[in-house]
Amino acid sequence: MTRFMKWLGVVVVIFIAAPLVIVVPMSFSTARSLQFPPPGYGLGYYQAYFSDPSWLIPTWNSIIIATATTVLTMLLVVPATFALVRHQFRGRSIADLMMLMPLAVPSIVMAVGYYSYFGAMGIVHTHIGVVLAHTALAVPIAFLVLSANLKGFDRTLERAAMSLGASPTKTFIHVTLPILRPGLIISALFAFIHSFDETVVSIFISGRNAETLPRKMFDSIRQEADPVIAVISTLLFALVLLGLVGPRLVAALRNRRPRVQAA
Amino acid sequence: MTGLSNMTERKNLWPWLLLTPLAVFLVVFFVVPLIDVAVMSFTEPRLTFANYERALTGTLYQKVFINTFLTAGFVTLCCLLVGYPLAYLMSVSSQRTAMLILLLVTMSFWTSFLVRTYAWMVLLGTNGPLVWLFQAVGITNPPQLLFTRFSSTLAMVHILAPYMIMNIYSVMRKIDPVLVRSAESLGARGGSLLRHVYLPLTAPGIANGCVLVFVICLGFYVTPVLLGSPREQMIAGLIGTQLDEFLAFGMGSALAMVLLVFTMVILTIYHRHFGLDKLWG
Amino acid sequence: MPKFTLDPASLMTPSRRTFLKATGLAAASTLAAPYVARAEDNVLYINTWGGPWDEAARAHLFDPFTAETGIKIQTLSPVSFAKLAQQVHTGTYEFDITTLGGGELVRANEAGIIEDLEAPYEGGLFENGVASHAFATVMAWRTDKIKEGPKTWAEFWDVERFPGGRSLQRYAARVLPIALLADGVEVKDLYPLDLDRAFESLDRIKDHVRVWWTAGAQSTQILRDGEVDLIGIWHGRYFEAEKAGAPVAMTWNQGEIDRAYWVVAKDTPNAENAKKFIAFATSAKPLAEFVMQADYGALNPASNEFIPADAAARMPTAPANYSQTFEQDMANFGGDPAEASERFEEWLAS
Repeated sequence: MTRFMKWLGVVVVIFIAAPLVIVVPMSFSTARSLQFPPPGYGLGYYQAYFSDPSWLIPTWNSIIIATATTVLTMLLVVPATFALVRHQFRGRSIADLMMLMPLAVPSIVMAVGYYSYFGAMGIVHTHIGVVLAHTALAVPIAFLVLSANLKGFDRTLERAAMSLGASPTKTFIHVTLPILRPGLIISALFAFIHSFDETVVSIFISGRNAETLPRKMFDSIRQEADPVIAVISTLLFALVLLGLVGPRLVAALRNRRPRVQAA
Repeated sequence: MTGLSNMTERKNLWPWLLLTPLAVFLVVFFVVPLIDVAVMSFTEPRLTFANYERALTGTLYQKVFINTFLTAGFVTLCCLLVGYPLAYLMSVSSQRTAMLILLLVTMSFWTSFLVRTYAWMVLLGTNGPLVWLFQAVGITNPPQLLFTRFSSTLAMVHILAPYMIMNIYSVMRKIDPVLVRSAESLGARGGSLLRHVYLPLTAPGIANGCVLVFVICLGFYVTPVLLGSPREQMIAGLIGTQLDEFLAFGMGSALAMVLLVFTMVILTIYHRHFGLDKLWG
Repeated sequence: MPKFTLDPASLMTPSRRTFLKATGLAAASTLAAPYVARAEDNVLYINTWGGPWDEAARAHLFDPFTAETGIKIQTLSPVSFAKLAQQVHTGTYEFDITTLGGGELVRANEAGIIEDLEAPYEGGLFENGVASHAFATVMAWRTDKIKEGPKTWAEFWDVERFPGGRSLQRYAARVLPIALLADGVEVKDLYPLDLDRAFESLDRIKDHVRVWWTAGAQSTQILRDGEVDLIGIWHGRYFEAEKAGAPVAMTWNQGEIDRAYWVVAKDTPNAENAKKFIAFATSAKPLAEFVMQADYGALNPASNEFIPADAAARMPTAPANYSQTFEQDMANFGGDPAEASERFEEWLAS
């Protein structure tokens, strides 16, 4: 049984890895369309991506929108998280639950709502509209990450600082923030990625002036399966790899440094 | 005495002050749009219950709802069948192997839905690697894979499996090897080891993973639209068509509300038993 | 019984407007006002069909127009009637100009979602759309799978003689007449359409239609890459696959002709420039060059003197081709086209 489970596990590893691996060779293909094995290899589609405004503008839009979403999300979520984690008050558990609601409602439902509501406000197809929608949807994720960090926070350090005469503000700036920094960064990163990846709401509300990369990709896959998508997929994939392996690599190199010096 | 109570009073104002900006924001940009959907479902094109009547009794809509539930159930089951062995493999492998597999799963998790959907389009296409493989082993007339129920289901399982794997792995790695060994020494082997040791201990992870996968799958838009055929539409795709093709906001909203209610019922049941914050935690 | 209504007046009922106002959004809207559609003097947004259509229009209509007037042109695709109606009612414009087929034009004009236009050339105006070019939905097939292709839609429906996966457009107004021809109806008896009979005919082919294509580029891709073996496709899209070197063939026989009309979205801040553009795009020479590159048939008769005979032979309006084809008759459709397309969607899902 256990051996069988192991082999099944290996098959699953292949199943998970194959789609991630396949887009890489496709992105270097010279074929006009999806063709395997590629008839030749080249950088043609990379060149096409980096020179075509119809791909670069959505990429840029996505970066701007995700950045603005991150800033807005953090401005709203950080104080609220402090309130919810550190203070006891009536209605706290309900407030806790409400924070998670945007994650519980299916995206397509929100897409219907934003399409009509922002339409009435005249902000569909604008950066502002997409940022507002993405912020509402990113709140739960940023909150979950940050509150987990804050719950594990050792408050004796703050008390120690205060007992040594530091004002609450000073304590916050010199003790609380530095310790929370990794949590804040990860929380902000999650908000950024959530906005950058968000597809369904963007499809409906990011129009001509604020078209995001996922919307452009969706349209392109639906309409013509343009091989440039393989390029973007490879680039996004490389970013994820870098984000996951990078920190570990840096840590490993740091640990190794003394030994390298010794040698 | 009075001073102290004053302090508590003041202290109690703080959380509200800190919460207000977010609360106002969520009301204006989350709750109101959601209410708008609810209102539209009764008022578009005129004050009526007809949208609901149609959404719940029309043959097309019933069919799509049933299909959505069956697909979500099937995808959840597949994710479990795929995720459990992998989580098991990770928990019994060396730390290094487990790390590598975890890295792979996390990578898949963080790679955009669209990229993974596109990858399946590449893999399953008429000129794709799978057909090429078929031909290499002598199958000259391979079956149509793309734009079928098979292709969209497969891609959804692939996209949602990481949720399941991570949930199960997080409980499985906490299983004490001593417990497993002592169970084995008492004669538990194979199936009975799985049934009496692993399943009960990993049940919370399974429940978490299943609810999460099922709920996400219920509202899945991108993959069924891109990889499926109109015969096996899911509800989110149909809502999209209502808006984009027919401009039927009322009907689209009614369908969205029905989807929302189903989702909320499932999540409420989960919340009663486990607490909603555990689901994504 | 409510319908999938396309009546844009129903998009925003008074009750909903009141509701939105009551939620205090007036303030938020004011904040956002600077971002809302304003007249952009130097940019026109045009809703296009994408692909080769876009390239030809860019080369012969858009760029020359920009050179002449200094007005830049941006495009987005695919063409969407629903978007046109939606944007007129929200006041947020994704595009100023689009092209519509005859049936949609009639509906758009009735609904009052397009600007009143004047005829830029004699006989060029129909229901506030300016006639630009003709295109046809024809049958095409992969020659590596099928040696001798079908000649009629009835043969296209014949899965015994022509085994293989098929594709048709997910568009009721074009597919239903084809289904009737496949069932043996004569062209002269086609309109008004016998919808029940059309759906019965579609039932027979349903299992063999692997893809219901929704965008022109998609139809080219699946034919070129061999995802399907037979397809009902716009002739320009067919030529694109042929140019890409795919083993494909087509017939003009029983091709279904549509006319494309330029229209301007009602009340767009760029209406004046939009009208200027349409006059330019339907003038003799630019139109001639555009249709030559994209293989459409020019509807401004003055264009014909610029079109050499060999180029005309690839157009659906060339006499030899035209005689084999039939025209859409939206005025005599045989029922409400919106209802028919709703029924078509239901049929697709069942």
